[in-house]
Amino acid sequence: MPLAVEMRHIRKYFLSSNVLACDDVNFSVREGEIHALVGENGAGKTTLMNILYGLIAPDEGEILIHERPAHITHPNDAIRLGIGMVHQHFKLVPSFTIAENIMLGMEPDEWGFINGASEAEAVRKLAADFGLPVNPNARVRDLSVGMQQRVEILKALQRNARVLILDEPTAVLTPQEVHELYTVIRKLAADGRTVILITHKLLEVKDVADRVSVMRRGQMIGTHNVSDVSIRDMANMMVGREVILQVEKQPAQPGAVVLKVENLLVAGAGGIPAVFGVSLEVRAGEILGIAGVSGNGQTELIEAIAGLRPIDGGHVVLLDKDITHASVRARRETGMAHIPEDRLVMGLNLNTNLDENVVVTHYMRPPYSRRGIFNFLPMRKLAQQIIDAFQIRSARVGEEIKTLSGGNLQKVVLGRELEGKPKFIIANQPTRGLDVGSIEFVHKTLIEERDAGAAILLVSVELDEILSLSDRIAVMFGGRIMGVLDIKDANEQDIGILMAGGSLEHAPAKVATP
Amino acid sequence: MTAKRLRQALESAAIPILATILGLLVSSVIVLFARADPMQTYEHLFCEGFGPKGCQTFGNLLFMDVKTDNGTQTVFSLFYGAQGHALGVTLERATILILAALSATVAFKAGLFSIGMDGQLVLGAITAAFLGYALPDLIYGLAGISQPQAAPGALQTVMHLVVPALCIGAAMLVGAFYSWIAGYLKVKLNVNELISTIVLNAIAVQLVGYLINFPLRSDFNNIARTRRIDDTAWLVPFNRGLFLNSEWFSGSRVGIGIILALLAALVIWFFLWRTTAGYEQRMASGSRLFARFGGIPNERAALRAMLISGALSGLAGAIQILGVERRVVDGFAGAGLGFDGVLVAILAKESIGGILVVAVFFAGLQQGAINLQFANLPRQLGGIIIALIILFSSMENFFRTNLARIQARLRPPQRAVDAAAEGVAAAGGGAT
Amino acid sequence: MIKFLNKHSRRLRHALLIGGPLVGLLLFLVLPERLVQGGIRLATPYILGALAALIASRAGVLNLAIEGKMLLGAFIGVVVLYKTGLDPVVGVMAAVIMGGLLGLVFAILYLRIRINLIILALALNLFVANATVFFLRVSFGAFGTLADPSIHSLPILTIPIISGIPILAERLSGYNAIVYLSWFMVLFMWLLLYRTRFGRHVRAVGENREAAETVGINVTLVQTFALTLSGMLAGLAGSFLSLGVLSQFLENMTAGRGWIAITVSLFALEQPVGAFFTALFFGFSEALSLGLQNTGDTKLSPALVALVLALPQIATIGALVLVALRIRAAELLKRRNFAAQFGQELANLRRGVVVGGQD
Repeated sequence: MPLAVEMRHIRKYFLSSNVLACDDVNFSVREGEIHALVGENGAGKTTLMNILYGLIAPDEGEILIHERPAHITHPNDAIRLGIGMVHQHFKLVPSFTIAENIMLGMEPDEWGFINGASEAEAVRKLAADFGLPVNPNARVRDLSVGMQQRVEILKALQRNARVLILDEPTAVLTPQEVHELYTVIRKLAADGRTVILITHKLLEVKDVADRVSVMRRGQMIGTHNVSDVSIRDMANMMVGREVILQVEKQPAQPGAVVLKVENLLVAGAGGIPAVFGVSLEVRAGEILGIAGVSGNGQTELIEAIAGLRPIDGGHVVLLDKDITHASVRARRETGMAHIPEDRLVMGLNLNTNLDENVVVTHYMRPPYSRRGIFNFLPMRKLAQQIIDAFQIRSARVGEEIKTLSGGNLQKVVLGRELEGKPKFIIANQPTRGLDVGSIEFVHKTLIEERDAGAAILLVSVELDEILSLSDRIAVMFGGRIMGVLDIKDANEQDIGILMAGGSLEHAPAKVATP
Repeated sequence: MTAKRLRQALESAAIPILATILGLLVSSVIVLFARADPMQTYEHLFCEGFGPKGCQTFGNLLFMDVKTDNGTQTVFSLFYGAQGHALGVTLERATILILAALSATVAFKAGLFSIGMDGQLVLGAITAAFLGYALPDLIYGLAGISQPQAAPGALQTVMHLVVPALCIGAAMLVGAFYSWIAGYLKVKLNVNELISTIVLNAIAVQLVGYLINFPLRSDFNNIARTRRIDDTAWLVPFNRGLFLNSEWFSGSRVGIGIILALLAALVIWFFLWRTTAGYEQRMASGSRLFARFGGIPNERAALRAMLISGALSGLAGAIQILGVERRVVDGFAGAGLGFDGVLVAILAKESIGGILVVAVFFAGLQQGAINLQFANLPRQLGGIIIALIILFSSMENFFRTNLARIQARLRPPQRAVDAAAEGVAAAGGGAT
Repeated sequence: MIKFLNKHSRRLRHALLIGGPLVGLLLFLVLPERLVQGGIRLATPYILGALAALIASRAGVLNLAIEGKMLLGAFIGVVVLYKTGLDPVVGVMAAVIMGGLLGLVFAILYLRIRINLIILALALNLFVANATVFFLRVSFGAFGTLADPSIHSLPILTIPIISGIPILAERLSGYNAIVYLSWFMVLFMWLLLYRTRFGRHVRAVGENREAAETVGINVTLVQTFALTLSGMLAGLAGSFLSLGVLSQFLENMTAGRGWIAITVSLFALEQPVGAFFTALFFGFSEALSLGLQNTGDTKLSPALVALVLALPQIATIGALVLVALRIRAAELLKRRNFAAQFGQELANLRRGVVVGGQD
């Protein structure tokens, strides 16, 4: 079967974030097939497709379209070669009608004037031909998300896309709309077009794809027929095994319940719930790890608990205090600490020095300030204490921190967050982007805190990290907790199933699963 | 520690200095167009802006030879004040620039791009101007005094202290309130503060223009103006008061205003860098997310910033009226003094020390340009130079990226591969 | 308050859209003709300035240098006539061209060299304000104003048929060419924005830049054209000020009109037709204020006059606030609906009820 798309030895390195997004990637898609490209956030799949669509230029590698070499430097080139892409965040103009959006950039030239009626008619016909009826004169901003997606697809089809790339298309769809989308995809494939589906939802892959390619950390792990692999296999390939040293730890001695989350409902993008009825408990002296492929509501859940995102239903109770609608400061004063998943943007202010970063959670208290005026000596002492306790080598009190390495920056965050001996710690991807030594250090620190009686809520996409640190594991998928396992009962395969949306008999979910 | 600070200060001053040189270069083209000699023109310009009377060359800015009774003597220019030193007048101009720039900086440092200084300044000015004659009138009226000059000395002294204070206070309140409006709209309704301050400026300018022309109009000359403020409200210039005998200030109306401006600079510096409130604001500016994450009450900080910013602008307007002009003349509103302050703040990159330097520099340029009569060069040359310097200075990004590009091209490509190798080891972060 | 506004906003909007022009028409016919004429003349630079502001704004660039471009137009118009002694039309054309050039320079400095928008605009305004007076002195030996018999102002045009109709004649006929041109420009801009390819590209770029980029529209080119057009309109507005009414150039003769034009554009939510009526509103208020002031009486309280003068601006702030309130209200409503809908679903699931539509 002829290859619609072939990408050879693609390499892309991002200087700004110091990441090798694509590392000698080979990727090929047969004509007329539905091909799933799978991997976690950061695996490189969107980068790869952005290269195919001409939004990014690869450092090395070549691309063949329909077995002829292609030079794609701009989306226009890709469009001309018959490649269309529907992005995760729609690129539509809200105040335009459907017809205007579809015809944007393609207006027929009649002295620069546009003929609205003929455009609408053309779009109506196009939509009908593909079995995706739309009202050409409806304004995009009034449409449902599923309908907007349909417009995006029609946009690509209007430009004669033979290869259609869909980037996480079901992320913002209701289950009903997901089924409709599947129908559309199958129809397109039957029509001889090729569909590349970027996703991390393994059930979807099983439902609709013919073949699947798995990427992890910029590398292409493998390509298989969907019928030959199970969800477990795919989960394994996606998550993989990393060289993380096992952490020495005693079994946990959990005490009273510190954090109680009940039936949490949190809105996500596009009016779809990101957290749909999550309930969990974390006790003093234990680490509850939340496993799951990123994008399943973990971020929103943590933001809700931390006070950075409003909660639309349910309760969060910390140390017997209802903090569901409390301010961030109130939560912190109750004893919460938060190690954020993005230390550069949220955890630290890179424009200023170490002292000011370290003091952000307690600057308003003595001895750091009295009656509104800063006392620098205690601040410096605190900063020096943290530097010593956490062995942040290249940091100096009073100096800018933007030159510090990732590991050291994370140590600053840790030092600050753990300084007040918090009773509840949120650790969200605490070792992302760190070297092995720093990872060890972070793990050691978390275990120490646990042994000192803190309740820790750990979120990580690294299954190994979850397995080695947690006392109990909860798996999140689609905004729900699919199951909670004790560490002694947990194994990778089971967790992988839960992560992909399946269910286990011996660890029923808290909320009825679909 | 201080050596490093010095180096850092120099580094950040590098681009503005470069921009200044470029600005002067381009302006010299314009000067040539006017059939004048650029070098002479600039010498004259700088002398008239920054040097002692009799200054002719660049060298004279530092040292000058003067004829005294004992022959010729070389003096240190800064202190030589016979017949008045240009800096005296320059400082007078710089006062309002400093305050307006401080106002802008406080707002910017809180992450708010408010350019409402002009409107706030003008409202503060008219408030001070009005109270400047109305308040003494009221007091005299209440005390039953019809001949103010004959009033008891004690009362006069008290009034000299109290009336300006009240006028200034009122002006600051008005400015603060006006600025607060924009702040409130932003915080509660997310109305873009750039737009709201532009509109509020237009309202204020029109309002004051109208007030000058009609209700508060005092005489019917060609140009409308308000009544002159009472002497008790007057911020007596140095050369009429404190330093009566010093010639250095002769010809200048600089007075306690500059002291107030410097004090304000100090206070603001202290506020921003030494208080918790200032800290909150600075954190909110660069990294809003970080501030929220740490629990900083962003809304309160923003409103506070707007209040302070407005008060500073009001102060600027008040000092200009009470100390220099003593009445509001038509055209004052709309002269864009507030905007000049914004430009100073931006050029000074929001550093307090930088504001002082830049404000004095700009004021000197403007002042020096006034006296360019000899070559028939209009004083607008000062404004032209300033505008060009600002344009060049804000091309900073352009210079930086181009410099980086040239550097990158010169560096061997091997580096990129090494960097990539490091990148693989650290890979794990997101770059989808 | 918020709920009330949201519920009735649609009706309020329709009321304004129909009532506004209706009231305007009424006033137009009924008010004394001097007032109407003054209003229309005063409104002309606002119409053109607002169009200049909105074409740039729709393309995603807030053009704050309209004041400077207007002033430049005023200056060039007079200077060209002074030097060449030709027809005033030549002066106007020169003003338009120079305005366009300045717009192009603005575009290059902002889009290529990436100077901060606000600094660029303020610095340009400063530069033009100073440079005009400078060259006035240096090249023409004039101090702050340039007037000369050789500078003719634009001729008054009388419209053939209308000048016969009693009430309309004095109000619609007898203005100079730029006034009528400004009316045509409103229509032109409307056509441009909504009926041409370029206009659609402009709107796309301004609303969702990425949407435009991914379909291959050259955003920089579109914005450059928009800014150049903006400059041309502003230059035209400036030439009206110097050649249309006065036939001389005065230092700083734009006197903040550029900023007011920006306000007009904002109030009209950047729609050409709305800008036209809004500019008329502003122009009429100004004429009314001047008229009231010039009667010399103190019968009318100063407060009233001040209010009339400031009315348009206050209305603008009011409009901004209303828009913001509406957005806030819509958001709150969405959140409430969301909580209600999904909260219900959750509750049902927990009770074991399967809601239709679940998979």
